[in-house]
Amino acid sequence: MSDRITPAMLTSSTLNDINGALAALQRSTSELSSGKAILEPSDNPYGASHAIDLQSQLDGLSSYTSAVQDGISWVTTAGSAMASMHEISERVRELLVQSSNGTINQTDLNNMGAEVEQLAESIKQVANTQYAGQYVFSGTQTSTAPYKQGPEADEYQGNAGTISRAIGPGATIVVNTNISTLLGNGAGSADGKLLDTLRTIAQHMRGGTAEDKAALGSTDLKALDGNLETLTQLQATAGSVTNQLQTAASRIENLQAAITKSLSGTMDADIAKTTINYSNEQAAYQAALRAGANIVQESLLNFLH
Amino acid sequence: MSIPTLQGLQTALSGLIASQQALDIAGHNIANANTEGYSRERVVLETNPPITIPAASPLTGKGAQLGTGVAVADYVRIRNLYLDAQYRAQNSSLSSASTQAEELEQAQSAFNEPSSSGLSSQLSAFWSAWSSLASSPTSEAAKEGVVSAATQLTTTFNQLSAQLTTIANQAGEQYTSLTGATGQVQDYANQIAQLNGQIRVAEGAGQQPNDLLDRRDLLLDKLSSLAQITVTKQADGTDTVTFGDAAKPLVEGTTVQWPQALTKAAGGQLGALLGLSGEGGTLAAYRTALDGVAATLAGAVNALHTATPFFTGATAATIAVAVKPSEVQTSSTGAPGGNDVALAIAALRGGAADQSYSALVEQVGSDVMTAKDNKTNQQTLVTAVGDQRQSVSGVSLDEEMTNLITFQRGYQASARTLTAMDQMLETLIQHTGQVGL
Repeated sequence: MSDRITPAMLTSSTLNDINGALAALQRSTSELSSGKAILEPSDNPYGASHAIDLQSQLDGLSSYTSAVQDGISWVTTAGSAMASMHEISERVRELLVQSSNGTINQTDLNNMGAEVEQLAESIKQVANTQYAGQYVFSGTQTSTAPYKQGPEADEYQGNAGTISRAIGPGATIVVNTNISTLLGNGAGSADGKLLDTLRTIAQHMRGGTAEDKAALGSTDLKALDGNLETLTQLQATAGSVTNQLQTAASRIENLQAAITKSLSGTMDADIAKTTINYSNEQAAYQAALRAGANIVQESLLNFLH
Repeated sequence: MSIPTLQGLQTALSGLIASQQALDIAGHNIANANTEGYSRERVVLETNPPITIPAASPLTGKGAQLGTGVAVADYVRIRNLYLDAQYRAQNSSLSSASTQAEELEQAQSAFNEPSSSGLSSQLSAFWSAWSSLASSPTSEAAKEGVVSAATQLTTTFNQLSAQLTTIANQAGEQYTSLTGATGQVQDYANQIAQLNGQIRVAEGAGQQPNDLLDRRDLLLDKLSSLAQITVTKQADGTDTVTFGDAAKPLVEGTTVQWPQALTKAAGGQLGALLGLSGEGGTLAAYRTALDGVAATLAGAVNALHTATPFFTGATAATIAVAVKPSEVQTSSTGAPGGNDVALAIAALRGGAADQSYSALVEQVGSDVMTAKDNKTNQQTLVTAVGDQRQSVSGVSLDEEMTNLITFQRGYQASARTLTAMDQMLETLIQHTGQVGL
């Protein structure tokens, strides 16, 4: 402190104090009114850049959430389609078991064969299930139906491409099922897949020879059981994908909660603390004003006559 | 030995004159109590040469010296030159720091972070658009979404780059206008040179040109906010002023050497402006870093979007979207339902482009914070030195009031002495020799 105090010093220091108090008050006011502790990067450079990263992570998580929800819908659609296929195949198996019973006459066998042909068409129809305008069983050829209708058109029209959904940073999961591993390319290809099996069964039912009848009960049943096993495996895979997606959804939810909390801790003003600061600063400002008003007025002049 | 009869009148008169001059000075101080740059003045009183009276005492024969009153020897300007030098050095630093804080804050507000409209949000929205497209790769709306998010992103890049350029240009223009032929440097230098001339004449005539000195010191204070200055006092009363890192003195006697080249080492407002606006300056560095972000983004996306480049331009100012919605590539095989490309691009979120951008924001933020802290510190120093200067040179009205009373009383007392002398002489002249009449 200087020895000699002049009114100009007093005025300028009072003014500085009042300005300082007002600046602090203004800062608290904007923190309170915006609810943010970081209004611009210079308030907390690391915090600001951290907040930018966290915000982008949060946006990413909500993208993952919608991708996961979309994936779940996709797999559910495919899953219920495969459940229908399973039901239809079970019906075929019933017919097959009945047909291999030696007492059944050829007319009934012919009817059964016609029904099996019908059921084969139903399976192809189910295979043409769409989700949001996309064929779920066409691989990546989602705008092409995987199977055409008609007994002579059992060729798989899709490809073996995979469709994935991002379920987290760097984590993707394949949501589509390659249905051609189950259905195959029909009788022409003799690939032993479901469509081939169904066409063979129908043919054997209508054939009427002893070999045909024998095949119904032995090789055909065996082939159909093999196909059913494949279908069950596909269904199990789809089920496990659904589980993984649901796990991912709940993990993302937890992450969202954690990151939101961290973002709020970085960005948001501590309202209780700021309110107390605000009251203190208001008191300080008023005191500075009062002191200024009292001190600056006084001088020897007030007391000389 | 006797003393001159009328000496007492002269002594009283000298007291009257000295008191009057002291009152004048107090009045001058009071009048200038609020004048910027004014230094208080004080009269220096000295006793007049005494009259020697040989053998004043008839008993001892010792001589004596009779005082003959008072005279004003000088009007002193109360000022501490060391504090002036200190004040100017700190003032240059303050001006440099506040210029930096001001310009960098402009750059910071151009970034507009953290907010929902800054570049970081646009980047995030761009990645989200790719995520949506990955979920529905055949959707035209999702492709539109990607292109529109990308267009907003590139527009934000372009605007931010343009704003940084504008801020740098404005800083450059400010430098040019301050240093130009009609700028402040030239103006202050001319006035200082002129005052140098007047002071030289006055001091040559043995006068103390207090108010001219104050005006010159005030101009030097103002000049110090433009760049660091050093002031060398010459024997003839002129000041030689070196300015920033200019090669020759700005003012020498009555000569002004301007314009001269400065660098960012000049300090003060001009040094700060050069440091910000020039090649390799802070603002240019921000632009380069932003260009880096744009190039990283374009490079990473184009490397995955192999069918046709997604972005053209590799700087923040030139980056643009090069594809129509129908050309947005979602898969590497071209199958409509494939989404590997979309997934891979969406997975770039949080990658090099995002990281280098948030590092840039952190850089800008910490630069602004440092500049503001510097400014606050320098402000405190300048206030402290300014207070010290005020403590020495400032007018205290209380003090001047006391002086007024002191010298007013002195004047009254001298007048009373004069009256006493007068009455004494009256006794001598009017009443002597009239005894018994």
